[in-house]
Amino acid sequence: MIKVSNVSKNYGDLKALDSLSLEIKKGSIFGLLGVNGAGKSTLLSILNGLSGFDSGSIEVFGLDIKKDKKKIKEISSIVPQNLAFYEKLTVRENLDFFSKIQNATKENYDRAIEINDLSKILDQEAGTLSGGQKRRLNIAIGILNNPQIIYFDEPTVGIDPKSRNEILDSIKSYKDLGITVVYTSHYMNEIEKICDEVAIISNGKLVEQSSIENLQTNLEEHFLDVTEVGNV
Amino acid sequence: MFSAMVKKEFLLVLRDRQALMALFIMPAIFILIMSVAMRDIFSQDAVSFDIAVVDLDKSEISIDLKTDIDDDKSFNIVDIDEAEFIVEIPKGYGDIDDSSNKHKIGIKVDGSLKSDMIEIFKAKLLKSVVNLRLDIIKTRLSEFSDEAASSIGSVSLSATELFDVKYNQSDDIPNSTQQSVPTWIVFGMFFIIIPMSTIYINERKQNTLTRLSSMNISVFSMTLSKIVPYLFIAQIQVWVMIAVGMFVVPLFDTPALEINGSVLALFVLSFSLSISAIGLSTLIAVSANSTEQATTIGGISNILLGAIGGVMVPKFIMPESMQTLANISPMSWGLDGFLDIFLKGGDLAMVLNESLALMLFGLIALMVSMIILHRRIEGGF
Repeated sequence: MIKVSNVSKNYGDLKALDSLSLEIKKGSIFGLLGVNGAGKSTLLSILNGLSGFDSGSIEVFGLDIKKDKKKIKEISSIVPQNLAFYEKLTVRENLDFFSKIQNATKENYDRAIEINDLSKILDQEAGTLSGGQKRRLNIAIGILNNPQIIYFDEPTVGIDPKSRNEILDSIKSYKDLGITVVYTSHYMNEIEKICDEVAIISNGKLVEQSSIENLQTNLEEHFLDVTEVGNV
Repeated sequence: MFSAMVKKEFLLVLRDRQALMALFIMPAIFILIMSVAMRDIFSQDAVSFDIAVVDLDKSEISIDLKTDIDDDKSFNIVDIDEAEFIVEIPKGYGDIDDSSNKHKIGIKVDGSLKSDMIEIFKAKLLKSVVNLRLDIIKTRLSEFSDEAASSIGSVSLSATELFDVKYNQSDDIPNSTQQSVPTWIVFGMFFIIIPMSTIYINERKQNTLTRLSSMNISVFSMTLSKIVPYLFIAQIQVWVMIAVGMFVVPLFDTPALEINGSVLALFVLSFSLSISAIGLSTLIAVSANSTEQATTIGGISNILLGAIGGVMVPKFIMPESMQTLANISPMSWGLDGFLDIFLKGGDLAMVLNESLALMLFGLIALMVSMIILHRRIEGGF
C-alpha cells in the first residue's frame, strides 16, 4: 500500500499540496483526477522520490520515502508527461541505454517491446516516430526495470483516439502483471475506463477518494465540485 | 551502466552535425585563413615596397644607386602610377666634391602609407645610399693607402651579418602558422558549449533528466558521463588542428606548423585546456534556461575571453595594463602554454603552471555546475 498522510508542499507562497492524505492499494490502478495545476504532477514527483515535501509522511510498500528514497526509486518508475527519451537515438538505442543503466533483464527488455508494439520500429530514429509511437516508447522505457509501481503522468496528451485506446489497454494489462499503477489525467472517461479507484484533487487538496463505482453514482456532484473549486 | 551513459553521449554528439562543424570546421578554416593572411607579417624577407626611381642626374653615381636599388629584393620596381614610393635622384647628385648636401634624394610617398612603413623604407634606402658612399670613399682612399681602402671594403651593412636575431631563445623563426594554430585551437575548444548546452537543456526540457534521476542516476554520474566523450572529442580537435597546420596550410604556399617542444607537454596542456573548456561549458549549460540562452551566453563569453586573452589581438602588442588583464582569461593561459611549446620548445615543466591553472578552473566550474544541477533537479528545474 502507498499511504500519503497530511502531505504539504509549498513553492514560495503557492500551496502545491495542502495536507493531502490518500491511500493506494497494492496491485490496483489508481486515478488522480484534477485540472491543470491541481497538484497531480507534484504528488507524482514526491511519490517517486524526485521532489521533497514540507510536512506530513509517505510510506510506499512499507518504506519511508525520506529514509528509503533509493530503494523506492528502484521499485518504481515514472512515465513523465513529456516524452522523456533521446530523439536523435533510434528506438533500440533508447531502449538499450535505459535498460543498461537500470540493469534490466533481457526478459523485461523484450516484454517492454512486445507490450508496446515497438518491434517494427526498433531501428527508426525516435524523433521521426508518430505521436502515438513516441508515447508507446515513452511507456516502454518506464517498464524496463520491472517496477512494482508505475506513475503515469497524463500519458495520452496530444495523441489520436486510436493510439489513446491502445495505450489505455496496455496500461490495463500491467494490473495483470501485479504492478500498481498511479495514473493522472484530467479526462474522466480515461479514469473510468482503466482505474479501480480515483482521487479527485483540486488546489492541492483531496476533494474525494472512492472506487470508480461509487464515483459514478455521484458523478454529477463531483464534477460540479471540481469545476467550482477549480474556478476559484 | 557508466559505459552506456558514455556511449549515449558519443552517439548524441556525433549526430549533432552543426556542433561538429563548429568544433572542427570553424577553427580549421580560421587557421587556414589567418596563417595565409599573416604569412608576410611573420616572413623575414617579406617587407617589400613598390617603387619607381626617377634619375634626373644620369651620372655614374646615380646609375650605380639605381642599379643597387634594382638589385635589392626589398624594392619592386614598378611604373610611377603604381608606385608607393617615387625616388627622385636630383640633378647634381653625382657631384662627389659637393659636400653641401643640397642635392637631397626626393621621396614621394603614397598618402595611405603608415609612418612606420615610411621609416622602414627610409632605412632600406639609406643602406643603398651608404653602401654607395662607402664605395666612393674606398675608391678615393685606395689612391693613398690600399690598407685603409681594404678596411673600408670589409665594412658590411647587411643586417644578417651585423645582427644575430633569435626568436624566443630558439634558432627557429616563428611563422604565421605557429602563431595561428594555438590561437584557434584554444578558441575552437571553448565552442564545446554548443553541443553540451543542446544536450543538457534537451535533457531538462524533455524530462529525460527527471527520468534519469528517478532511475537513481546521480548528478556526479550524469556530469562525468558527459565529460568523457567531450574530453575525447577535444583531444581529437587539437590534433586535427595541428594536422591542418602541418599538412593543409603548406598547400597554400604558407609555412607548415613545426612542433618545437615536448609532445608530452602538448598532451598535458591540451587535456587541461579541455577540462577548462568543458567546465565552463557545463556551468553555462546547467545555468541557462534554453539552448538559445546558453549558446548566446556561451558565444559572448567565448568572444570576450578570447578578446581579453589574446586570441583576437596578440598579447604582445597590448598595453601593459591589458596584458595584466589578459591573465584572468583561461584562454590566455592555454594560449601561453601552446606558444611556449610551439615557439620556445617548451617542455612539461614550462607549461605546468598554465596546465594546473586550467585544470583547477575547470574542476571548480564542474563542481559549481553539479551543485546547480542538483538544486535544479530537487526543485523540479
